[in-house]
Amino acid sequence: MNAFLARNRLIVLAYAGMVVLLLVTALFSPGFLSVSNMRSTVVLAAFVGIVALGQTFVIIGGGIDLSVPWVLNSAAIIMALLCGGQDLPLVWVMPMLLAGGAFIGLINGIGVAQFGVPPIIMTLATNVILQGLILVLTGGSPTPSAPALIQFLSVGRVGGFPVIALIWLALTLVATLLLSKAAFGRHLYALGTSATVAEFSGVPTARTTILTYVISGLTAAFAGMLLTGYSGQAYLGMGDAYLFTSIAAVAIGGASILGGSGHYLGTVAGAMVLTILTGLLPALNLSSGALLIVYGAVILLTVSIGSETFAGLGGRFRRKEG
Amino acid sequence: MSASERPLEMAQKPAEMKPAKPGIDWRGRLLDRAPFLVACLMLALIVGIYGSLQSGVFTLDEINLDTAAAMTLMLAATGQTIVLLRGGIDLSIGGMISLGTVIAATRFTDDPSTVALWTLVILTLGFLIGALNGLLISLLKLQPFLVTLATWSILNGVAMIILPTDGGSIPGWWVGFASAQFVGLTSPVWMLLALLLFWWWFRATGVGLTIQATGSNEKSAFLSGVSITRVNLVTYGLSGLFAAGAALFLVTQTGAGSPTIGKDYILPSVAAAVIGGVSLFGGRGHLAGTLIGAFVLTLIGNLVFVLHVSSYWQPVASGVILLLSVLASSVAEKAARNRVQ
Repeated sequence: MNAFLARNRLIVLAYAGMVVLLLVTALFSPGFLSVSNMRSTVVLAAFVGIVALGQTFVIIGGGIDLSVPWVLNSAAIIMALLCGGQDLPLVWVMPMLLAGGAFIGLINGIGVAQFGVPPIIMTLATNVILQGLILVLTGGSPTPSAPALIQFLSVGRVGGFPVIALIWLALTLVATLLLSKAAFGRHLYALGTSATVAEFSGVPTARTTILTYVISGLTAAFAGMLLTGYSGQAYLGMGDAYLFTSIAAVAIGGASILGGSGHYLGTVAGAMVLTILTGLLPALNLSSGALLIVYGAVILLTVSIGSETFAGLGGRFRRKEG
Repeated sequence: MSASERPLEMAQKPAEMKPAKPGIDWRGRLLDRAPFLVACLMLALIVGIYGSLQSGVFTLDEINLDTAAAMTLMLAATGQTIVLLRGGIDLSIGGMISLGTVIAATRFTDDPSTVALWTLVILTLGFLIGALNGLLISLLKLQPFLVTLATWSILNGVAMIILPTDGGSIPGWWVGFASAQFVGLTSPVWMLLALLLFWWWFRATGVGLTIQATGSNEKSAFLSGVSITRVNLVTYGLSGLFAAGAALFLVTQTGAGSPTIGKDYILPSVAAAVIGGVSLFGGRGHLAGTLIGAFVLTLIGNLVFVLHVSSYWQPVASGVILLLSVLASSVAEKAARNRVQ
């Protein structure tokens, strides 16, 4: 147990932070802990969490994916256009768009792993190219409403549980298995810690890198479709907020932006923290500007706790644990 | 391959190092400057197509207009270039630009002395906030990406509290500054020349060299007696200062403040630098390249306009150009590495 705590200090702290935040929010707004409110918080957090799943893999591998906003937005818009409000086309539209998201990830990954393009630039380029193409495609006009089936996935319930929360839970299980039990996970941590050492140790670094971007493309596209169901229709710019929140969720979850550390379980807590904060501010009667300030402060605080300087201060504590 | 891993490679293969040959290594020099040359080529191509489709492109008026359109990005990208040379990145300029425009739009009056005072405040604030980024990065050993992401959010929040929606007003004489002429050239063109002059000074005084050396190899810079904390403080301070300058120029174009406008300059400032051949790994690049990159990004808009295609093709074109430039850079870096070995 002690060894577990020492190894996953930052993730445990992220969950501790989440619980404290929940209690503080409940103090200011007594209705916050009600079942219905918790349910809507989890639903909102699920969108951040699903986008941040791919981002977690990419960041652990030492990269970053700035293309999530328009991969998400493209999937949302194209789904709405192709389905035209009907459920039946989803049978082929959904797999096709997931494959499309994976394909964009593949391009990102090949650019980064094979051509040595810095991840920031590679994914920024695919993001603006997608943005332009979607704008050309739609001419800036709104799209038909979302099919009922996708609305069920985002806002429906099964036995009192939101469907999307169950989806998120399933994805969390898959991500945890991939990171903790699969060879891919071990390769990923090795790659993120040092690409050179990993390469010389026989880790298939190029394949592992490419796979992280493919996963990120997949989750962004999936989140785009679900989000269309949540808001009832797809609109231009709906993915923009998810660039910041997906990276912030990973950072708050304790992963190093340099790669090699972190876990999706931490990101889950990060997504919850970000969403609870958005609920806290109306309770405190604060503006959206204040929310941005709090977001920034929380990111600074969590990355400071994870930094070497603070780890040095906590050295005595950790030695006792180890 | 990060910068810190390069010395290791060199140490592994000392036998392959060739003795320095007399004379100038033209091939090496050309390869070193390949990204910059590719940027020049792109600009020439864009201006060529633009000039053949539109009359009056090769006039002083057009230069004045285009420079004014590109100047905000140029100022933001100058700061970003300094940070990239250091091997970092500054996302907070988006917040600083927004904050600068809302302070200007709410505090500037017709009285020039008030404007002078608040201009000074905005510029000082820019430097101090940037320096704070540098301090946080150094003292807490944090990653520039996350620190500046956080400060971007904070500054953006402050800007939204000062001015929740686009608005405020800028005195007419301040707006007129961007079209004021001296000796046939408008003030943005003079600012462009001033930026190049600044760069020459920056490189000549050793401040720039120290920053660049630190970006090239932090460990050897530290071992040569460079204070990394001071380097970070100056680097990010300058970036904040230029972002504040960009805000002050931007309000001459918009005539109002906007709490969200800054985010439109964060990634384009990085893109302009990268198109101009500045390396994201630190230590390599020149402001002239960045300024050409900013012109390329700005003129794509003009090109899309004269080609009579949907303006939505502009982001597609800039994305493709960005990819082409960065591929040229990565080929050049690989060649440079091989040469060192």
